[in-house]
Amino acid sequence: MQADTLIIGIGNADRQDDGVGWHIVKILAEKLGKTVPEDPGEIVEVETNLADMMFIQQIYPELAETLSHYRRACFVDAHTADVAEEISWLTLNPEYEKSPLTHHMSPRTVLSIGATIYDHMPETILVSVRGYHFQFERALSPQTETLAEKAINRLWDWINHK
Amino acid sequence: MVSEKITIEPVTRIEGHAKVTIHMNDAGSVDHAYFHVNEFRGFEKFCEGRMFFEMPQITPRICGICPVSHHLASAKAGDILMGAKPPHTATLLRELMHMGQIIQSHGMHFFELAGPDLILGFDADPAIRNVVGLIGADPALTIRAVELRKFGQDIIYQVGGRRIHPNFAVPGGVNRALTEEKRDHMRAGLDQAIETTQIGIQLIKDWASANIEDIEKFAVFHTGYMGLVTPKNGLELYDGNVRLVDRDGKQLECFDAQDYLDIIAEHVENWSYLKFPYYKKMGYPEGSYRVGPLGRLNAVDHIDTPLAQAEFELYRQLDGGQPVFQTLYYHYARLIETLFAIERARELLDDPDILGNDILNTHHKDPKQVAVGVIEAPRGTLFHQYWTKPNGQLEKVNLIVSTGHNNWAMSEAVDSVAKTYVKGPDVQEGMLNRVEAAIRAYDPCLSCSTHAIGQMPITIDVFDAQGEVTQHLQRD
Repeated sequence: MQADTLIIGIGNADRQDDGVGWHIVKILAEKLGKTVPEDPGEIVEVETNLADMMFIQQIYPELAETLSHYRRACFVDAHTADVAEEISWLTLNPEYEKSPLTHHMSPRTVLSIGATIYDHMPETILVSVRGYHFQFERALSPQTETLAEKAINRLWDWINHK
Repeated sequence: MVSEKITIEPVTRIEGHAKVTIHMNDAGSVDHAYFHVNEFRGFEKFCEGRMFFEMPQITPRICGICPVSHHLASAKAGDILMGAKPPHTATLLRELMHMGQIIQSHGMHFFELAGPDLILGFDADPAIRNVVGLIGADPALTIRAVELRKFGQDIIYQVGGRRIHPNFAVPGGVNRALTEEKRDHMRAGLDQAIETTQIGIQLIKDWASANIEDIEKFAVFHTGYMGLVTPKNGLELYDGNVRLVDRDGKQLECFDAQDYLDIIAEHVENWSYLKFPYYKKMGYPEGSYRVGPLGRLNAVDHIDTPLAQAEFELYRQLDGGQPVFQTLYYHYARLIETLFAIERARELLDDPDILGNDILNTHHKDPKQVAVGVIEAPRGTLFHQYWTKPNGQLEKVNLIVSTGHNNWAMSEAVDSVAKTYVKGPDVQEGMLNRVEAAIRAYDPCLSCSTHAIGQMPITIDVFDAQGEVTQHLQRD
């Protein structure tokens, strides 16, 4: 990978709006000239040097090492009604957020782990889109699909403006 | 004093997370505590109408951390449905992938989740009682721990082509052979993985010696124990019969997984979506049993790999040769299993047949319309049962996941710890951390198929008897 920017879509593409991160990453990759498989894999390699992309269901500790190689990073995820904005755009700082479960790790936590072990973490943002339905299917709900298009436009500007 | 109800509730209605309810009495003691799982078992309904051979790809999406277990259990059910026993090489490769899963999952749990509690202490400042704090306390160890999980994930990648949601096992075998280069690459990491695990085992031994008082009062109760076994009742994580023993280690049943519904039933409580499996002959809750590391090491008589067997012999002396029943020893058992998995991975990699090219059986003999795939997931025994039409389309699916088997035990553990450590009216953070530590010991997988921001894994609300929230605690 040669880009200095990493886009990480998070979620389950089989759980409707929980997969909005996959849909956004897929379209961004296609805008950068890459045809991606329909079945989301771990890493989508982009042939330009603008951004590398990956899609994961959940965050795991060794992602910290991957992040340590980039100057900028963006997590893309769905959110529930507990977040006020329909599209949320947040700057993330490393901050450990504890969980009782091994299966739950936040972007801030993985940044915190990385900052401690590797002394460097990228400038990171979190872009999240309101999810309305989380049923067992791959298509986004109409509401989330509309929001995803807006998020893609804004992310496209962010990718291209260093 | 007014009675209090401490309720831990998910903030949203989206399924997948848990709550703990602690009911206080007027004297400021805990009357009872419950572990409620709001897990919605949608995958079972979702899969009706799909073809059975799609399931090794669908079911891993139940979870993004432990998908391999579902992938392999599903393929094993498919082997039976299709009447296609996998060739020997395919079985070796599947088991190798599974050892990678055990190594990464157990390694991550001990060092990055349980470790901070044990090494830094339950009452340590929450700001440091985490893996970042552990890094500060012992940076070299923490880096080794991250490397151990990476090693396990790398095995999965080398064998299956992807670390998460591999497309590898299919009914009748697997879809890719192993190259010498990949085999040698994996072999090169084994020694360090063993070293790291042995460091962890020493840590837990030292911790246990220094904290025996806590161990003897923290979620201590007796149950039966269940796990897969070899023909001579040795530890077995990939295949074999299912052995169920009682609290004294006496065998109750040793059965083919195909017959599990004759042995195990599921009880329903109105305060949890997750059912409570139990041993039919003893009824509920007397027939409750535990699975996963502590359950498995109680269900077996020995371990067939030398280093793990040596540790197992020491471990079984904790309770004078009787089954080890103290919840905190789950962490110790987990590391012994990690050692076994690494040693077993070495055995598999040293077997020349693992480089074979005969990896898929395309001759179908005696296909079935009902089948059970069983495996020991990191958290415990996992059953995938499929009922199909003659054309292979699924009519019904039943999944009993590891966390389900441990449901009664987790609730009992929460109740026990709450009664021991939670004292009202001012509920301290360290008290509640111990309640969560009881859950952590079982390393539950709670419907990890959705993780939208805003979903909390566990929240805690303290209610008074009038239903007013007097205290709130949440873990983001």
